[in-house]
Amino acid sequence: MSDPVTIIMIEDDEGHARLIERNIRRSGVNNEIIPFTNGTSALKYLFGADGTGLDHKGSALLILLDLNLPDTSGIDILKRVKENSFLKATPVVVLTTTDDSHEIKRCYELGCNVYITKPVNYDSFANAIRQLGLFFSVIQVPAAAT
Amino acid sequence: MLVAISAFSVALVSKARTDSGLVVRTVEVESYVIALLLDIRRAESAARGYMLTLRPDFLRDHDSAVANILPGLETLTQLTRDNPIQVENCRKMRSAVEIRLGQFAQQMDLIKQGDPGSAITLVREAADAGSGASIREIGRAMRAEEDRQFVARTATADRTQQLASVVTVAGSGLVVALAGFSILLVRRSSRARDAAETKLRDSNLTLEAMVDERTADLREANEEIQRFAYIVSHDLRSPLVNIMGFTSELEQLRGDIFRRIAALASAQSAALPVPENATDDEAALKGADKQLADDFSEALGFIKSSIAKMDRLISAILDLTREGRREFDPVPINTRELIEGIVKTVAHQAAEAHAKIRIENLPNIVSDRLALEQIFSNLIDNAVKYLETGVPGEISVRGRTRLGFAIFEIADNGRGIDPKDHQRIFDLFRRAGTQDRPGQGIGLAHVRALVRRLGGTMSVASEVRRGSTFTITLPLNWPFNKRNERA
Repeated sequence: MSDPVTIIMIEDDEGHARLIERNIRRSGVNNEIIPFTNGTSALKYLFGADGTGLDHKGSALLILLDLNLPDTSGIDILKRVKENSFLKATPVVVLTTTDDSHEIKRCYELGCNVYITKPVNYDSFANAIRQLGLFFSVIQVPAAAT
Repeated sequence: MLVAISAFSVALVSKARTDSGLVVRTVEVESYVIALLLDIRRAESAARGYMLTLRPDFLRDHDSAVANILPGLETLTQLTRDNPIQVENCRKMRSAVEIRLGQFAQQMDLIKQGDPGSAITLVREAADAGSGASIREIGRAMRAEEDRQFVARTATADRTQQLASVVTVAGSGLVVALAGFSILLVRRSSRARDAAETKLRDSNLTLEAMVDERTADLREANEEIQRFAYIVSHDLRSPLVNIMGFTSELEQLRGDIFRRIAALASAQSAALPVPENATDDEAALKGADKQLADDFSEALGFIKSSIAKMDRLISAILDLTREGRREFDPVPINTRELIEGIVKTVAHQAAEAHAKIRIENLPNIVSDRLALEQIFSNLIDNAVKYLETGVPGEISVRGRTRLGFAIFEIADNGRGIDPKDHQRIFDLFRRAGTQDRPGQGIGLAHVRALVRRLGGTMSVASEVRRGSTFTITLPLNWPFNKRNERA
């Protein structure tokens, strides 16, 4: 995996965050994971103080996104990321409990790269995350547009 | 009123007719009197002529006149029966006429015996006795009386006629007045009707607006519930993922801990022969340690099965809300084909249960295919699932149409449902009878929700151990009104 890809995890449920992190680590992915528990702070980090996203120009990021956030909707974050010229190449993995087909379609339309429904069954959950880790290890995260 | 008036005028007209009849009779009487007098005169003059000339034609003339007198008098008496004065007059007249006739007869006899002298004497005597004069007198009196009556009767007739015309005029006036009154009444009632019609139209509009408003309210409330259920089930799922996840983590920890305990225990009791795989095998645990490990496993097992159940329930609610939000797409459906397809999918279970499924004539309908499939497959599935053990199953699917609705019946000879549970089985998560079959208690709730959304109704008739019949009534052509489309 081309270093240094940073994984941005936007997940309000700390338990979920912990479980995701553990399973990612178990799959052998050791990249840095920066967790955010709400949309606002995540957006602030992603788009920087000036809100242009210039801070992350050229840095390789991967976003793990939950749709049900307390302050903003994950869909909004997805939209903004994909509309931003500096961030739009960043792969976004939507990982959420929502399995509504409309929602899934909407996310793909907005440019999400992978949509994973969190299964309650832990084995499936762990499996999904490990697959994701595998996915991380094979995808080539592009150097963001210069 | 009108009847009274017409009856009265009819009576008056007939009275007028009687009156004029009376007038005519008066005139008649008068002419009879005159004729009588004339006859007497004729008889007299003929008798005189005979006396003078002895010519037989005078005698014939006299005889015919005499013959006319009595019948004429008789007729006169008949005609004047109703007037006492005239009756008296008639009586006098009769006696006078009889005397005169007697004289005539005497004269004639004398003349025939060839004694004209005595006859002439007799004529003279008769003239002196004034019998002819008295007859004339009486005739005059009778005529005067009749004249009087004529005047009186004419007056009466005039009066009657006047009265009749007055009544007729009054009647006509009354008729016109009544007609006017009726027109007024009709006008008033039609005005009232128009007003009522307007009012009805208004209230209809209001009602429609109210119904629309209520429907909108209901729809909103329904959507609210759907949204609520959706959000709640999602939000419930989130912590469930954690509980399940960390329970699994705990399970792993448990494995690690007890392996460690086993290793420690075996290290402590070095005297004992150490099994080769002791370091990572829980089987090496002894006594209290083993008990602890089992308790731990049991607790974790309960937690996990509860989570699994909760997950299924939440999924069921989610499915239901999703169904509630799904848009229906009505298409013409060959019901028989659809049912045959469903029967094929349960053929295996049916064969295992030794059940036969019979499909009878079914009406085709226009409805949502997926919804129909779900409805029928749930019901047929249930019929196969809840057969009476040891009794070969017989399931039949029947259909008929009535008043724009298709009525389907799915009947089985299965274990049946206790009447007290007939409502309960349609409730979410509720089931009836022995709980020996897998299920969440969702099927029938779901079916009923679908049937209702399709504009139909469903009911059950069942007896324990006698089988159940589920009846579904669906509109033949859905959507039959626009409101459903908007829903």
